[in-house]
Amino acid sequence: MTKSRDDEQDPKRSGHDPGRRKFLKGVGIAGAGAAITDHLWTEADAKETQATQNTVSGETKIVLDVNGQKRTVQVEPRTTLLNALRNNLEPAVTGPKLVCDMGTCGACTVLLDGKPAYSCLVLAVDAANKKITTAEGLGTPENPNAVQAAFVEHDALMCGFCTPGFVTTISAYLKKNPNPSLAEVREACKGNFCRCGTYPRVFEAALAAAKASQA
Amino acid sequence: MPRVVNGVEQMVEIEVDEDSGPGWGPNDKHKLLNQRITRVDGPLKAAGAARYTYDQRLPGMLHGRILRCPHGHARVTKLDTEAAAKIPGVKAIIQAPLTELRFAGAPVAAVAATTPEIAGDALRAIKVTYEVLPHVVHAQDAIKPGAPKVVEEENNLQEKAKNGDLKKVEAAFATADEIVEAEYTSQRIHHACLETHGMVVDYRGGDTATIYASTQGTFTIPADAAKELGLQQSAVTSSVEHMGGGFGSKFGIGVEGMFACRLSKETKAPVKMMLTRYDEFVMAGNRSAAWQKLKAGVKKDGTIVAMQARQYRLGGLGQGSQAGQPFIYSMGEAYREIYALHTNEDSSVAMRAPGYPQASFAAESLVDELAYKIRMDPVEFRKKNLRDQVYHRQLDRGAREIGWSRRNPVAGGNAGPLKRGFGCAVGIWGGAGNNQCKVALTVSRDGSVVVAVGTQDLGTGTRTYTRAIVAEELGLGIKDVKEQIGNSKLGGANPSGGSTTAPSLAPSVKDASVKTRLLLAERVAPLLGNPKPEEVVFADGKVSANGKSLTWREACAALPAAGVTGNGEWRSDLQSRGVHGVCFAEVEVDVETGHVKPIKMVHIQDGGLPLNRLLFESQINGGMIQSLGMALWEGRVMDAQLGMQLNPGFGDYKLPGTLEMPEMAPIIDDDDKREAVIGVAEGCNIPAVGALANAVFNACGLRVRELPITPDKILMGLMNSSTSRV
Repeated sequence: MTKSRDDEQDPKRSGHDPGRRKFLKGVGIAGAGAAITDHLWTEADAKETQATQNTVSGETKIVLDVNGQKRTVQVEPRTTLLNALRNNLEPAVTGPKLVCDMGTCGACTVLLDGKPAYSCLVLAVDAANKKITTAEGLGTPENPNAVQAAFVEHDALMCGFCTPGFVTTISAYLKKNPNPSLAEVREACKGNFCRCGTYPRVFEAALAAAKASQA
Repeated sequence: MPRVVNGVEQMVEIEVDEDSGPGWGPNDKHKLLNQRITRVDGPLKAAGAARYTYDQRLPGMLHGRILRCPHGHARVTKLDTEAAAKIPGVKAIIQAPLTELRFAGAPVAAVAATTPEIAGDALRAIKVTYEVLPHVVHAQDAIKPGAPKVVEEENNLQEKAKNGDLKKVEAAFATADEIVEAEYTSQRIHHACLETHGMVVDYRGGDTATIYASTQGTFTIPADAAKELGLQQSAVTSSVEHMGGGFGSKFGIGVEGMFACRLSKETKAPVKMMLTRYDEFVMAGNRSAAWQKLKAGVKKDGTIVAMQARQYRLGGLGQGSQAGQPFIYSMGEAYREIYALHTNEDSSVAMRAPGYPQASFAAESLVDELAYKIRMDPVEFRKKNLRDQVYHRQLDRGAREIGWSRRNPVAGGNAGPLKRGFGCAVGIWGGAGNNQCKVALTVSRDGSVVVAVGTQDLGTGTRTYTRAIVAEELGLGIKDVKEQIGNSKLGGANPSGGSTTAPSLAPSVKDASVKTRLLLAERVAPLLGNPKPEEVVFADGKVSANGKSLTWREACAALPAAGVTGNGEWRSDLQSRGVHGVCFAEVEVDVETGHVKPIKMVHIQDGGLPLNRLLFESQINGGMIQSLGMALWEGRVMDAQLGMQLNPGFGDYKLPGTLEMPEMAPIIDDDDKREAVIGVAEGCNIPAVGALANAVFNACGLRVRELPITPDKILMGLMNSSTSRV
């Protein structure tokens, strides 16, 4: 929680339901801690939280680095990164999908500094200092990355609602492990659900993308 | 063919004359159809650029949420919205039309607010006082005398059909060498569409509205939305650019659409109402559960002589669905009674092959039990009791593909705790089309080609094969054609249910393509030595006749300023009905943990002319995987005391995931030479459940008759049978 955000809160909202806001703030911080495992809860954080006890409610302006662009966005402290991308950014970034909103399906997967994260479990304010990459940032329909191209080639998608999540997860994984086995691919995307039934072709596409990237 | 006109069913003639136009030609002679063309919307979807209903965001748009009843049966005695209405950003709160709520999850009220977060605040601030009434959520309780009445004006148990002669059945049983009598239950499973149900109503007061809907039927939206908005139907346009899964559950505006329209009307602002995942579980639909008591008699030579069935359709508040037994098999004398049995749960809705997977699981289990009883190979036993020779061919092929010869004929006979087993089953579906698609195909003077029809692409590949049919007919490439679909202002189209889209749409697109080709040929004839239009050849981007040839662009330059448009109508001779499929499964059962690991699945499916092999195979994979979920993992769990679902989320409702996938072989049955388009989506989703259950039996010797086949059932079953086993 930084000073600049506090300064920019919307005065119209400051008197709104303070009890609930305090409660939500508490939940929000706990949620963020759980979501980003490498976030360390320091004494400094605690002090800062104390200092801003009365001022974090309402909307606040933050800067998100999305697909290489620094973009200013108005969010509440409780706004998830997913909702900020989809509902608050103008124009919206809708590659990450809202499907379960509780970190079980992987459709909202984005990369935070290159690491896959469920953006429904990350608070927007906690993503402010990270590089956020979505499926849109990996490639475009005209100029896809190797994984996106392989998904099309192998028909690894049907309705396509889970696809940006899978593409993002696998793209990140192939950077870490450029030559995976089938078992490793399954393991890498076990946090992503598909309902149409594309899994066998998702595996094929991931392995083909790995091969293509090495060629 | 019956058609409803002003509510009266009438018989209408179908035009099936010889001169209706050229056919598809042999299935193996196509350039773009029956090939592995990648889906044309693939690049958009893979890049996250495809726009779904959930992705719509309009200026001034409000977000809707629905408050739900937490009781299995209750009456709302007081709804206090005062505190909720005071929250800044809350723009409207409306009460549900019903105050007596008959399932946990029934809508109580709906709100519209400036953000989804504030809409959630508003729900939490609404105070509802309920009079809690008695409920019953388990079928076995609902059938008991004195059980709470689920629907006031109806008994919980209702007789739906009685077929056959019970006396003849009983006489036939007396001639049988062996009898099997068993009960099979299949659970309530969820469609679990990744894009939840919902819509964005773009209405700001005034005379017109646009509805962005996640639906399987573009044209199922405007009429009901118009009614709610108080507009003329023609003033309401629905748009379905891309949609994230339906599987039978998304037709019409639904309760959520009703609320969205009313909230939009009240606020004169666009309203986005997408269900939450919880909502989606508790009220957006489920596959009817089933309870079937079956009895069959068999002779030692493998002939089934009689079958008797008592089938309960468990549709919650609805009527449920279940195909009648003996399903696909010939079982001599057959008698069945079908009942609907209500519980305090939301009504079941159609789900991919409505009523069939349930009937198939029971019938295939029963057939398997009979085969083992007389010690006959289950494949041979099936062939003995299936008249249709297509199944014989498919069963033989499936047995080869899975390696049926590796199967131990003694169930549970393999050594060690990890036991492999094999099972098989067959499936059937109609898959015919209907006469609703109106296709307009326009070729412009600059050579651009646009095919327009209001149909929707659920991820089944509608866009892709529509383009391919046009491109092939005009001798073009897939990229030379653009399609416009998913909009009710375009030509009419049927909703996508019951595998009817391809057989309805493809013939209409073909008809438009043929007509356009002839119109174009007529225009360019003077440049080609005046051939008859039918003599002009369209191939490889060229238009030729009499030894003369024009490029596509040169030919199109001869068109009038408005180009030419061919209007396609459905042709029944370009489609057909009746698909067959077989599924074989190999599983490994760990008899120490009860864990079932699917090893390999093979599904062979016919479907007339495969419009696109890649997409057809994906349909088959999808059918196998959804069946895996039903067979082994998925199921709604209801709490008898609370009357509510205990697992309304992906954390507790086990969907098939990447780790559980077996090796899969989706096989298109090319021995089917029918030159006709037939829908295949349902057919792919029928036999696999039975095949898996039968493989489990072959592996461990335990017949699990209650889905899903979870480790607890295997362990308990093995424990009980080990004390009584010979």
